[in-house]
Amino acid sequence: MADIEEDRPLLAAEAGDEDSLSGGEESGRVGRPLPAICDPAHVLHRVVVLVFMCFLGFGSYFCYDNPASLQTEVLQDLNLNTAKFMQLYAWYSWPNVILCFFGGFLIDRVFGIRLGTIIFSLFVCIGQLIFATGALVNRFWLMEIGRFIFGIGGESLAVAQNTYAVNWFKGKELNLVFGLQLSMARLGSTVNMNIMGWVYSKVTLLIGAPGHTTLGCSFMIAAVTCIFSLICALVLAFLDKRAEKILQKEQGKTGEVIQLTDVKDFPLPLWIIFIICVSYYVAIFPFIGLGQVFFIEKFDFSPAEARAVNSIVYIISAPASPVLGFLVDKTGRNVIWVMCAVCTTLASHMMLAFTFWTPWIGMSLLGLSYSLLACALWPMVAFVVPEHQLGTAYGFMQSVQNLGLALIAMAAGAILDTKGYLFLQVFFCSCICIALVAVVMLYFVDYLRGGDLNRSAAARAKLLKEATSEAE
Amino acid sequence: MAAAWPLCAALLSLAFRSSGAASSTRHLSVELNPGSPAPHAGGDLLHVRALGDEDTLHFLFCSQGAPTLLVVHTGVTSSYVSVDWQRFLSRNASGSLRVEPVSSIVSSTALVFSRLLEYNDVNNTADMPYELFPPYQLRNITWSAMELSGAAARLCGAVAQGSVCLHLSVFDGEGRDEMWPRLLHTANSSQVAVRLNGLLPRSRRSRFLLELHSVGGVYPLNAVGVRRSIDDEFTPSIFKVSEWTSGANESSCDGCGFVLWKQVAYRHSPPALEDASPCRHTEPRRQSAGALAEAGGLALAFFATEGDEPNGVFGLNISFGVAGEPFYDATKFLSWTALVGVGPPPSDTFSPLVAAIMAVGLGAPLVILLMGGVYVCLRKRSASSASGYEPIN
Repeated sequence: MADIEEDRPLLAAEAGDEDSLSGGEESGRVGRPLPAICDPAHVLHRVVVLVFMCFLGFGSYFCYDNPASLQTEVLQDLNLNTAKFMQLYAWYSWPNVILCFFGGFLIDRVFGIRLGTIIFSLFVCIGQLIFATGALVNRFWLMEIGRFIFGIGGESLAVAQNTYAVNWFKGKELNLVFGLQLSMARLGSTVNMNIMGWVYSKVTLLIGAPGHTTLGCSFMIAAVTCIFSLICALVLAFLDKRAEKILQKEQGKTGEVIQLTDVKDFPLPLWIIFIICVSYYVAIFPFIGLGQVFFIEKFDFSPAEARAVNSIVYIISAPASPVLGFLVDKTGRNVIWVMCAVCTTLASHMMLAFTFWTPWIGMSLLGLSYSLLACALWPMVAFVVPEHQLGTAYGFMQSVQNLGLALIAMAAGAILDTKGYLFLQVFFCSCICIALVAVVMLYFVDYLRGGDLNRSAAARAKLLKEATSEAE
Repeated sequence: MAAAWPLCAALLSLAFRSSGAASSTRHLSVELNPGSPAPHAGGDLLHVRALGDEDTLHFLFCSQGAPTLLVVHTGVTSSYVSVDWQRFLSRNASGSLRVEPVSSIVSSTALVFSRLLEYNDVNNTADMPYELFPPYQLRNITWSAMELSGAAARLCGAVAQGSVCLHLSVFDGEGRDEMWPRLLHTANSSQVAVRLNGLLPRSRRSRFLLELHSVGGVYPLNAVGVRRSIDDEFTPSIFKVSEWTSGANESSCDGCGFVLWKQVAYRHSPPALEDASPCRHTEPRRQSAGALAEAGGLALAFFATEGDEPNGVFGLNISFGVAGEPFYDATKFLSWTALVGVGPPPSDTFSPLVAAIMAVGLGAPLVILLMGGVYVCLRKRSASSASGYEPIN
């Protein structure tokens, strides 16, 4: 879920260059002058649009980790075992195994950005409402259906959000906007982790006793954020339509071209990158999904404290991502950075597994390394495939990642139910070890092929310069 | 080289001996009502004799009076139990059960299941209030005849339209039960499971407590230590082990008794992770002189000599459930398991599977790094030597 926004910007930004038809600052202006805040060409108006854009994804990020933030309550009120609980995460991932390829296509060719965004927001909304209703009437299969529908909307909405951003801000404040959207996503997750427990306790007071009704009501309240995001989608559609008229620009496109036959041409390093991606992320998201009870049981944390420490990964990631991204950009040597990130993650997982040290250390390290990996890993794809295959490569990467997440979420629940937390952590460690093996292999493969992945930024710049001078 | 093996074995066994209680395997013999002339009403006495290489453990389990498990550790292989049945059946006769020869006794510990307490947890805080419901005195319950299967016995009594059952198992070697909490047991320990099945709670928010008494000789069990263990492979999500030992005298008492349990009770049978309910205990408190006489039965018969009360009686409560957990009414079932034995309490270590996974996981990247490094070096060298010949060509 949370990595989509790290790769899409890249892709959309590069691909968007070709079909840029933003109309220019002055040319589209018609008739009477508008006040700055209503003038689509004015920065003030763009700030207003930005606010809606940021809150567009808020609902889906808020609700994605709803089960994790109320893990104890969900388990108890619905009388679930952990394996069933993790199904809620698996069901979110299943539709995206396929949908990753088509999100861009649907936006570009079928719905258009405006209608597409509204439809995806509707899916998120309806999914969350069904999910909440399922809890309300204590029907677990209904909750699973809700998560499935929520999943259909969630990932595609992130693509739509990025397309909007490119459409409005390309050539202006685009990187800043991507950064802000990313921070909003993290904010949504963090707020969810820390506020849902409080919401649940208030609803308990209102209703009188905890139980599936209370749980359902809490999820209904969470659904308000999705409705809020839907409203943002509607407003954005209106503003975008209006801007289109005034500036006479074209509707935004992702510019994604998915060519599944490209898959057979993928070079070896790309496949290794896929392995790293899958085996790394399956040790992060399912772990966060199961984190709360782990911290309560093993470290004697209070539920509120456990939620806080569970959300620290997201909190750290919000400010760390831009800083680390800058660092990776300036130094290059992506493979070494990825290796560092994977090693640090392994260390933090082992710390959580084999010691009673306060999890604040382990989780903070995890947050740092997770941000570092995102900054160093996703851009590598652009180095190993030609530009026209980027869309397919990223789509494929997300697809296998979602497949991995769905499978490992189910496995993690089952392992916890039968073998306990130590074994689960060892399992996660072994996933990270696979990632580490893959990174080491990537290093050598790249080295032997004389590849670009591990070059320093200076060397890359030099190469680029030589290439351009040769072209001249 | 061949001579080194016996030496090693000797050293190993020496190390094992010095660590406290003796054998790693034992020969078990089970006897119901030893030496009794005829079957009788009012409760059975089970005797499991666990014969080691150089010592004997006597596990005595009795439903006369409050159910009691007595573990006597003797330093010889020829010790035996003698019961004066006539006096034993009168329930208050002290000294009617003896383990002979008395001089061979290393340690003796009795665990008495004295009372089952119930309270109404109005605010769902799981704090024991001052006012409890009238307790169920386990000595006043009519216990069924013991059902034996091998070195295991089951004892049930009817309480509040349900049943309280005690399951005792004695072991001839190291191992684990199939069912959670899968405590690691050795040949020096026995396992008791308490099951509260289908009791009719007296309020909808009832929670239960189990009152236990320990009776020790020279080294009474006077302290409960809580050990944190990162290893929850066999008891998922439970990281705390309670050990009720003669804490203060630890150094001077290798063969002393212990009671060990993981801080968990299960609300269903067979247990699953979502049915795990934490349990807590109070600090052991020295009991007044009359406590043993009240408990009666086996402990009194073994420990007290005529007209003399032993002073090493300690009591504690195990309370089931914590704030916010479902009440007993939800499933009407609770099971709690403890290990009772002598010597150092066994502790979990990483299973070979965990160790293997970690070793492979951490080893594989290193191996690949090494192999890759060597390969790259070789290629580089051959490449450079090839380029070295170029001028000649």
